[in-house]
Amino acid sequence: MSQDNPGIEQILTTVKEFAEGVAQRSIGAERYDALCAAFLMGVVQRELQLGDDQNNSQLTQLQGMLGKQGDLAELYREFSSRVREGQYDEDWQTALDFAFSQVVDKVKITNPNHLETEHRSS
Amino acid sequence: MSGSDEQVIIDDIVGKLGVAIQRRYGRTASVENVTIATLGASNRTLLFDLVEGTQRRRLVLRQETVKSEFSPFISTADQYRILGVVYSHDLPVPEPIFELEPTDGLDNGFVVACVEGETLPKTLLTDPTLEKARNRFAAQSGEILARLHAIDPAEVGFLESTSDSVDPLAAQVARYEGYGNCFPGIEVGIRWLENNRPAPSQRKFIHGEYRNGNVILGPDGIRAVLDWECAHIGSAMEEFGWLCMRSWRYGNIDQPVAGFGPRSELYSAYEANGGETVDEEAVRWWEIFATLRWAVINMMQIDGHMSGVRRSLPFACCGRNISMVEYDMLMAIKGNYK
Repeated sequence: MSQDNPGIEQILTTVKEFAEGVAQRSIGAERYDALCAAFLMGVVQRELQLGDDQNNSQLTQLQGMLGKQGDLAELYREFSSRVREGQYDEDWQTALDFAFSQVVDKVKITNPNHLETEHRSS
Repeated sequence: MSGSDEQVIIDDIVGKLGVAIQRRYGRTASVENVTIATLGASNRTLLFDLVEGTQRRRLVLRQETVKSEFSPFISTADQYRILGVVYSHDLPVPEPIFELEPTDGLDNGFVVACVEGETLPKTLLTDPTLEKARNRFAAQSGEILARLHAIDPAEVGFLESTSDSVDPLAAQVARYEGYGNCFPGIEVGIRWLENNRPAPSQRKFIHGEYRNGNVILGPDGIRAVLDWECAHIGSAMEEFGWLCMRSWRYGNIDQPVAGFGPRSELYSAYEANGGETVDEEAVRWWEIFATLRWAVINMMQIDGHMSGVRRSLPFACCGRNISMVEYDMLMAIKGNYK
């Protein structure tokens, strides 16, 4: 660790608390902007905590499903083109399961409260 | 956009609006009491008083702000024509007052009468003074939509050629692809929609975006239906699918009609007021279609932010919010949120 305190987590928390404070004492567009800023700080916090593990897990899943290597963006495109071409029509559950797990991963970062209880810790 | 930037824009609009008003109502007419409802979403909305001598009337200026080849919105000129048609059928919409012209220097848009009431979705669902309106919402919506869908589509024949009227799924897919995105969840949703299309149904003039957030409520019920920029010719079931999708329930997931009430009240009132028999399986397809459409609208917002055309914190949030819409889409495909 080459940097001093506050660390990234503390910086984000501090800025998030500031934005929440602005929201509490504001109205209208300023309040909404402040709420959005706090929300986005929360997204960054959760992505720092979960993002790498999610990416690695999805990469492994996709490499196994598609039988090829590549970075995540490339494999998303390969998966997507196969879905759109109907290559998963006879193996629909496989496509649905992967897409759903990828979406749940994203929502865990965006807003885990939006998930049904059974998906928050899966 | 900074506060001073916004003020410059507002001052410019108010100055030009004053001239536009005098051009139509005479040199003694003036604009007073200007307030901003929205500044920079899909439409810019300003409220103002038109003052003529001792007469004062509250009006609303709506200006187009989205200019994109992938915009899902019909022109403000067509919106204004639609308001005229719907108003002539005595449906609850703001009275159209005048359309902007190039000489006004205010870009595209129009002015309508102001309807007093509440529009904020969370307020509509919680304000104690709106309890009666909440209880009536599903049935009243059924009645309003039945009357809207009874209007002969020929009266708005100019909508027949819009891409949403021709093939709504193809229209959304084209917009999605236009943004160059790749969302595995969306792709699975599109494929499901392609493989499970409902049978063609009667062609109706539909609002296209009827939901909690696009109506004005007073204590006794719905006072006006707003935001006609997605109107087109299509299936009545599409209207119900949009209205009942999870996003518009604002947390009241067990009340499918925009968080207000049960589907049975909506459908019964619709059919009792002359609407066609509701095909609930088709509505389910349209509800999943609605999530695709809402995701694509969010893509438009984040595209505006990322390109720098319309930077804002809320539009930045829209980009990440797409994941929640994808979740709703796939959950609905799995049979949830009925």
